[in-house]
Amino acid sequence: MNANHDAPLPPGIPPEASDRIGRIGEELAFVLPGEDDGLLPINHFLLDLEELRGDEIPAAWTEGLKVARGWIDEILDGSGKFTETSIRRFNEWHAYMSSVADSRSEGLGLPAWPLDWAGSGAGADDVSAVTSFVVPVAASGEEQEPACSLNLEEDLELLGEFHAESLELLQTIEQGVLVLESNPTDAETIHSIFRAFHTFKGGAGFLHLDAPRNLAHELETVLDLVRRSERCIDAGIINLILAGADALGQFTRAIGAQLQGTDPGSPIAVPTSDIIRRAKAAARGETDPLSPPPRDRSGNEVPPAPVHPSAEVIDVPVRQSAPSAPEAPSSASFSPKPSVAPVREILGGDSSGGFVKLDTAKLDSLVDLVGELVVAQSMVVENPEVRAIESSQFVRQLRQLRRITSDLQSTATSMRMVPVRGAFQKMTRLVRDLAASGGKKVQLLLEGEETELDRNIVEKLGDPLVHMIRNSVDHGIEPPDERIARGKSANGTIRLSAAHQRGGIVIRLSDDGNGLDPVRIRTKAIERGLIRGDAGMDESDIVSLIFLPGFSTAEAVTDLSGRGVGMDVVRSNIEGLSGKIEVQSVPGEGTTFTILLPLTLAIIDGMLVGVGEDRYIIPTLSIRESFRPQPGMVSTIQGRGEVVSVRGRQTPLLRLGRYLGRPTRAASLEDAIIVVVESGEAARGLVVDELLGKQEVVIKSLGQTFRHQNLLAGSAVLGDGSVGLILDVDTLVKTPTFQHTAATADASNA
Amino acid sequence: MTTPSPNPNAALAKAGRYLTFSLGAETYGLPVLNVREIIRLCPITPVPRMPDFIKGVINLRGTVIPVLDLRAKFQMPEAIYGDRACIIVVQLRNATGGSNLIGAIVDTVEEVVQLNDPQLESAPDFGGPPETRFILGLATLSGGVKTLLDPEKVFLTEGLLTLTPPPSAEPKTTDA
Repeated sequence: MNANHDAPLPPGIPPEASDRIGRIGEELAFVLPGEDDGLLPINHFLLDLEELRGDEIPAAWTEGLKVARGWIDEILDGSGKFTETSIRRFNEWHAYMSSVADSRSEGLGLPAWPLDWAGSGAGADDVSAVTSFVVPVAASGEEQEPACSLNLEEDLELLGEFHAESLELLQTIEQGVLVLESNPTDAETIHSIFRAFHTFKGGAGFLHLDAPRNLAHELETVLDLVRRSERCIDAGIINLILAGADALGQFTRAIGAQLQGTDPGSPIAVPTSDIIRRAKAAARGETDPLSPPPRDRSGNEVPPAPVHPSAEVIDVPVRQSAPSAPEAPSSASFSPKPSVAPVREILGGDSSGGFVKLDTAKLDSLVDLVGELVVAQSMVVENPEVRAIESSQFVRQLRQLRRITSDLQSTATSMRMVPVRGAFQKMTRLVRDLAASGGKKVQLLLEGEETELDRNIVEKLGDPLVHMIRNSVDHGIEPPDERIARGKSANGTIRLSAAHQRGGIVIRLSDDGNGLDPVRIRTKAIERGLIRGDAGMDESDIVSLIFLPGFSTAEAVTDLSGRGVGMDVVRSNIEGLSGKIEVQSVPGEGTTFTILLPLTLAIIDGMLVGVGEDRYIIPTLSIRESFRPQPGMVSTIQGRGEVVSVRGRQTPLLRLGRYLGRPTRAASLEDAIIVVVESGEAARGLVVDELLGKQEVVIKSLGQTFRHQNLLAGSAVLGDGSVGLILDVDTLVKTPTFQHTAATADASNA
Repeated sequence: MTTPSPNPNAALAKAGRYLTFSLGAETYGLPVLNVREIIRLCPITPVPRMPDFIKGVINLRGTVIPVLDLRAKFQMPEAIYGDRACIIVVQLRNATGGSNLIGAIVDTVEEVVQLNDPQLESAPDFGGPPETRFILGLATLSGGVKTLLDPEKVFLTEGLLTLTPPPSAEPKTTDA
């Protein structure tokens, strides 16, 4: 405590503190009674002060912060406006805090604690103790659920910001909780959750949304205790945080709905008093006696699962424990513990950098414009008159221009690509909740979350994924005892992966559960008249029947242990993205859904090939190899067309020009080039006239006019401004190469 | 000819401004409201296995749009396009509220004219298959009779949206 005069900085109060105090002073100069100007900045600076840490902070300083926090909260709780009294107090406080800070740096004595401030000395923890000059606060113990109404006319813009911000905060909280489950002492995460609740509280208070404000306040208090190592994270607290985040999420969604014009002005009531009571209990250090059952996504309580070890088992030793609590007890508390290691890595990486919210229409138009710029640039460069200019400086400048435009293009296009991480991580919480409610042990492993997809696709991917994960957890993964009886590990595993593949993006969801029962599916499909009784189908055809509309009725759900719930909806969602979904299942061993998302909306590497006068683009990812055939490599199989022998494998040939009904140039096969493409299991050797080079292209839709064809996957604007057509390799490899029996082949394809 | 027709079908063609253009010896009109722009004939990328009247696609400042050959659409003899040939870019509303752009090649673009009710009449029944369903009506001007086209019928409902390429299992035997 002895001030060291030689030290450049005083011990205790960190140097940034004076700056914040000074800025609060500046803000105070402008506040007026009856106005709320300055409230949020002051709150913000105060928050900064509260977060500053030092070794020997004098009690007077800490108490001063607590008092100010109490006042700010009172104002946010009540009128939201300053009064003359509160301004006077804040000014006094500012003077007091300044002198405390100065006393530290100049070695003077501490100033006297102003007598009319409540909560002097110790024990100012409870902010309601300083209630003396503002409207009484209904902060504690209310039994009826308070409703709050939005002032849409006046606060429209603020509400919009609050809504957007809250969504982010809630996501921070959820992700943070997942980290805490595996590492309950992670200070940075605890802090980020604390700060999220705090920010939420500030915003809600400013908008006079009392119920969420109070809730956020109580949770913040609990988190603050955790932050100061007075409490440790345990299952009860984690459930509390999640329950609180869910309630705040309901508020946020309700606000969002009203902003969208649904039922504007109606009061929003979300049950909070129970959570507040629990939070208060937790803050007092009581163990949450009834760690409440997890909630499902709609916020309804689900009945507690029989196999659900409850939290209090481990809570006892933790409660009184020292600041650095061992992390083992709390992470062991959850039986359905999702794997969270990947999440943690991610959170570690994205703490830096800022973001700008942007209208997607603007982004799309930027991408289009940049595309045009690239084309215009190359038209200039290719212009014969320009090319005739012989000036090395000019050539250098042109090269510079080309480089910049190409960088610009890749930046612009990448702006629309986002990692699929966001959509995947939401599933972690879903699996956790579903497993808990079903009494199962399920871990979700995520792979390839960094795979980038067009944001439009990522957004629309959420619903189908939720549906499929629900199916997997509810009906695929068996209860632990059943799994053990079958010789599997008690923990079920769901694997969700994303990867670039087959010229598109493949998302795979597999579980090691019960698998689909082809016999029952077949029986059901026959009963429903979806297939004929004598239909000859192999197992993979049969399991695919779950995608048929009409297969998934409520009755079918129970009879088939629920697999196939709404799978037709999933399929139509995926097909809405021009994707495809396939299912493979091994009875007793698990089910794998494979979603292929198409090229559209994305950028691909393409191989430009020439056929006659035409140019086509083949996605490079689908190309296995290309070569000029030597005499003898190609042979004709009676009734089956031509095959080319590539390293011992016979690949059917498809003469692209003939197939497309376009003239070709190559007189014989030896003059042509064979491009071997593959999709799934199938491959074809495409006969083209020449290879024109590789190019990264932005895929453009061919639009409504061509939506009924499957020959082309899209188009792209080439360097000379003309349009190149992108071949749909999937269609090409399924094309029968023999002509006379084409009708049969077509029928078997269908 | 100039008698205002009492035929109720006359209401199909509304008074207003029309862009007139020629195909061979005939003159046609399209409602100006549906015309987005007129561009010079540019290289068109043919789209394989499409009906004859789909000439291909072009790059309209970054958007890929289909181009129709109106001669083929109207089953007129093929002709070499001259210097004055243009692509009229037509904008259509589709069912979902979005808009579709489709190009149409014409021999020459003439002018924008204001047509009033007395000049408009419904298409007579030619008694044969030629495409009267594309026709909104006829307009009589000093320069002669112009056929007013129904952009929805020419560019959307007929053929294009329901169009499917030849099934993939039917390879053509047209050797190069």
